[in-house]
Amino acid sequence: MTGLLPELSPGLVLAGAVTAAAASLWLLLPRSGESRAARWLGLALGAAALAGLVATGRRLGGLGEEAVFLTVALVAVISGAATIVTRSPVYSAIWFALSLTGVSGVLLVLGAQFLGVATIVVYAGAILVMFLFVLMLAQPSGLAPYDRVSNEPLLSAVAGAVLLGLLSLAIGRLTSDTACCAVAPRAAGPATQAAAPAPSAVDPLAADQVARLGGELFGRHLLAVEVAGVLLLVALIGAIAAVARGEAALEDDRRLAAGGGRR
Amino acid sequence: MTPLAAAPALLHDALLVGAILFALGLVGILARRNLIVMFLSAELMLQGISVSLVAWSRHHGDFGGQVLVILVLTVAACEAAVALVFVLQAFARTGRLDAAAWQSLREATLPRAVDHALPASDAAPPRWPRLSTAGVEPAADEEAALEREHV
Repeated sequence: MTGLLPELSPGLVLAGAVTAAAASLWLLLPRSGESRAARWLGLALGAAALAGLVATGRRLGGLGEEAVFLTVALVAVISGAATIVTRSPVYSAIWFALSLTGVSGVLLVLGAQFLGVATIVVYAGAILVMFLFVLMLAQPSGLAPYDRVSNEPLLSAVAGAVLLGLLSLAIGRLTSDTACCAVAPRAAGPATQAAAPAPSAVDPLAADQVARLGGELFGRHLLAVEVAGVLLLVALIGAIAAVARGEAALEDDRRLAAGGGRR
Repeated sequence: MTPLAAAPALLHDALLVGAILFALGLVGILARRNLIVMFLSAELMLQGISVSLVAWSRHHGDFGGQVLVILVLTVAACEAAVALVFVLQAFARTGRLDAAAWQSLREATLPRAVDHALPASDAAPPRWPRLSTAGVEPAADEEAALEREHV
């Protein structure tokens, strides 16, 4: 999409977009003494940063695929940004759920059907509900003071922008390097490689995706599945034990405090 | 664009989305004070990693990346379960979901974080009627007005 901006080099567009993203996050993060004008300026800078990042993206094959990918990626990124700048933690969690739907759309575009659905079911259906439970248990009425300020918003935004700039530079170099990315898929044998002229354009994992993923999971990675099961069990027991020990410690604290007060 | 160039373009764009999500999560975990929002930011970073892994998995035609994402899901579930127990116990002790409520655990050489000019609420400030000036304005103690009894 760099054809839209013929006079600007891609590196300049990327630097501008990253700087605008940092400024936008700094303006939008919860701060003391913020104004409505700063919020609008932050939104405008965020839109500019998104436009710059879209401009550094490569053209995908077809218009339809490109439109779908752009839509789900923008949903994921915009709601991800809204997750970290929203004051109310409940709204943060809801924005995170929307970001999860965007991420699952990206995974579907990438051809990972099982993971796209699992992200929605496991993350939005289970983990996020757990977060919301804790929020509802622990949320004071109204906005807490610590939700209206941030730790060093400028330095944090700059750190994120530096990381993003370095990562996108590395990604751009990596994928423009034809020696790296003309690599043929490992699954394709030499015979199929000779038959298909463009093996990297088609998804080699598309046929019977879920069945083959299950075969891979319970074949080559069986040990990892067993370890994950043990990890889940340990986390379950650990959580229960931590709750029990914590209750006991709290009781001790209360008894000590009451005894000290009487004396 | 020829189909040959399409796959590296998809890889590039997906990796870019993953990098953006990771950087957003980093900013959130550095800047936000609410413990729950910090955990949501960590989950956002995990999402960025998942997108990158699936992009590489598609690029190489190998299921290893997708298997790793399934393990990431498992670890995220365990992490959320254990961490939320600790968050709830921290809330039971301090009554706040504030990371700065535990700043007594900081290094002895670091200064204490004190919030200045904290707005009391998001409600619009009340509009008082404008009165004509009378008498002498008392000298205000600005330092005392900025300090709060807790962070």
